Amino acid sequence: MDAPLESGLHAPLVVTGVGSLVLAPARAGEEDPSVDAAREVAPWLKSKKMRKFMGKQDQLAVAAAGRAAKDAALDERTLRERTGLYLCVGHIPFERAQIEAIARGSIQADEFCMERFSTTAFERVNPLLTFRCLPNMPAFHVSLNLGMRGPYFVTYPCAGQFYLALECATAALESGEVDVALVGAVADQNNFLVAYHFRRTSDSRKLTAWEGIDAGAFLCLETRDGARRRNAEVKAELLSSEVSYAAPDSWGESRPFAESVTFAGVKTVAAKPTAASLPVSLSHAAGGAGKGEFVHQLSTAGGVEATSRWRVV
Amino acid sequence: MSRRRRVVITGVGIVSPLGHELTEFRRNLLSGLSAAAPITVFDPARLPTRIAAQVDASSLPTQTRDRKIAFGLAATRAAIADADGGDALPVAEYYAGTGGGLSLGIGLELFSMPDMVKFLEREEIPAGVHAQTFLQTPSDVCAHLICREHDFLRAPPLVHVSACAAATDAIGTAFRMIRDGRRRWMLAGGADSMINPMGVGGFCAIEATTRRNHEPRRASRPFDRDRDGFLLGEGAGLLVLETLDDAQARGARIYGEVSGYGNSFDAYGISEPHPEGEGALLAMQRALADAGLHPEDISYINAHGTSTPKNDVVETRAIRRLLGRHAERVPVSSTKSMIGHLISAAGAVELAAAILCAETGWVHPTINLERPDPACDLDYVAEGARRVKVETILKNSFAFGGQNASLVIRMAGC
Repeated sequence: MDAPLESGLHAPLVVTGVGSLVLAPARAGEEDPSVDAAREVAPWLKSKKMRKFMGKQDQLAVAAAGRAAKDAALDERTLRERTGLYLCVGHIPFERAQIEAIARGSIQADEFCMERFSTTAFERVNPLLTFRCLPNMPAFHVSLNLGMRGPYFVTYPCAGQFYLALECATAALESGEVDVALVGAVADQNNFLVAYHFRRTSDSRKLTAWEGIDAGAFLCLETRDGARRRNAEVKAELLSSEVSYAAPDSWGESRPFAESVTFAGVKTVAAKPTAASLPVSLSHAAGGAGKGEFVHQLSTAGGVEATSRWRVV
Repeated sequence: MSRRRRVVITGVGIVSPLGHELTEFRRNLLSGLSAAAPITVFDPARLPTRIAAQVDASSLPTQTRDRKIAFGLAATRAAIADADGGDALPVAEYYAGTGGGLSLGIGLELFSMPDMVKFLEREEIPAGVHAQTFLQTPSDVCAHLICREHDFLRAPPLVHVSACAAATDAIGTAFRMIRDGRRRWMLAGGADSMINPMGVGGFCAIEATTRRNHEPRRASRPFDRDRDGFLLGEGAGLLVLETLDDAQARGARIYGEVSGYGNSFDAYGISEPHPEGEGALLAMQRALADAGLHPEDISYINAHGTSTPKNDVVETRAIRRLLGRHAERVPVSSTKSMIGHLISAAGAVELAAAILCAETGWVHPTINLERPDPACDLDYVAEGARRVKVETILKNSFAFGGQNASLVIRMAGC
């Protein structure tokens, strides 16, 4: 692996707002905890009519982004004209009920039948399904409800790519393209297809146990000078961010995932990969959990190794 | 901040429904050939849309279940080979150990319906089936396989999922990364295929695709009053981007210079663009401002031009607002009229189309524009390929969900 690429921080960057939403795991016998996301997103919706177009991932993104924007006291004009969105979404959460309806309607003699798919099953497709699963839809819903006109960077699917979103945000702030960057991630993992992805191993037939995390989190990032001009309260400072990469063997054994957060001298090891892990834990730290240095370290199945250092003030 | 570097295009690789070899692709475009045909990749049975612009994948060296992976790998190899052409020092040799990067627009991780039926029955992976390809393959695998094959791509890949704007965003982001000194060189573009039951079925469900099954070659008709939706295509396009200094030091052939990029949100409708083209206009304005150019500097626009009722009117309106009176003098054409909509790969393959034609002094036509929509009143090059000295190209890509991206390219020698 090459020497780590530096994120190239030229101007001190600070966090002036945080927002996160982590849903409780589904209890046995319950479908999923999405009802909580639906409730939490309600205050941020410009039009209740849009609810039907929103999947859980969309709801998590809007609620977390809304909280971060409010926490940073961003006004409407700044959000509209001078704020960029840098978002990492998780694996695509197609909804089981919809997919099952299509699949069951496509079966003939215990096999998939295209004739039935194109007639019986096709008629069962909810056209909204398309909109509730596209990976760029969380960004759409955030832009609509917060009144943002970009620029943007939308990436996928894991915690490593969050660091790329952070790098793009850093570049946009330093070049003056934006004054404020909403940098976030969202993961809807209590979903049968996302769970399948994490459960499969390189051995055929073998699926491991899995309990996912549903979370969304955003950081409001600015230059120190920009924050000063807005009289914004600084909650944390980005000290450094380093990312390196070695392409994984995608058809072979998965590299082990490893993640840790050290805050105020206490190290916590995370067991599960999620695109939102860094912004969630930093949101908690900067949201009143204490002060001190915050170090996030990550090694992903996607071949990314990353470290970022922050100072929570 | 360090000085801004000039970023040039020195390699082009495509896998397209009109061929994978650059001169063949250009010849077909200038001939106004349509790649539309009945779907054969799978049996569409009685889906409302049963036509598409498919890639002939038989000659591709890698065959994968997920077609976009094979397309991405092949287009990457072709782009690097093109960048290594002539007397140029090979990319791998020149940049050895300096860590190039990949910026890739990529499509949905759609699942196989036959696999889904099996999976829902037993919730297990059948014996003898590769676990990483059964049911679905995560789309970022394409980026990792490209980087693994070309081990000089050592920066973490930038994976873009802004749907129909993804490849244009990928090229624009790569351009910025090199210009600002964050990467020394990059491969940038997109790969996609949604010609499968769920892909075609999903687009049918929202009535986005053309249903002109009885005459496929006339189905994609951007800016025509009888257009009824887009023609689905598939493929991949990758460009080699590097600094002007490095390109000259390597002795590389230079197609053109990426001089500006801008993107924006409509913040309006989930499937329909802002009626006045606010977001589209903003993306074009940002790209021009980034390039330090004025609207009258644009000599050709390669449109998003989907052949959907709403896009074509709104894009026309946005271009008119951008160019003002200069709009009368700027040819605008839609590559999608011939190769369909390549979704997350569209921006890259269409930009390649524009550049390949422009370097020989041509712009390709918009085919099937027989009865112009009165609301679409620009010069769409409907009569056939046209001789034009193209100095500056504006390339547009607009996505469902109101994500808009534009690039400004200055052709070499201008």
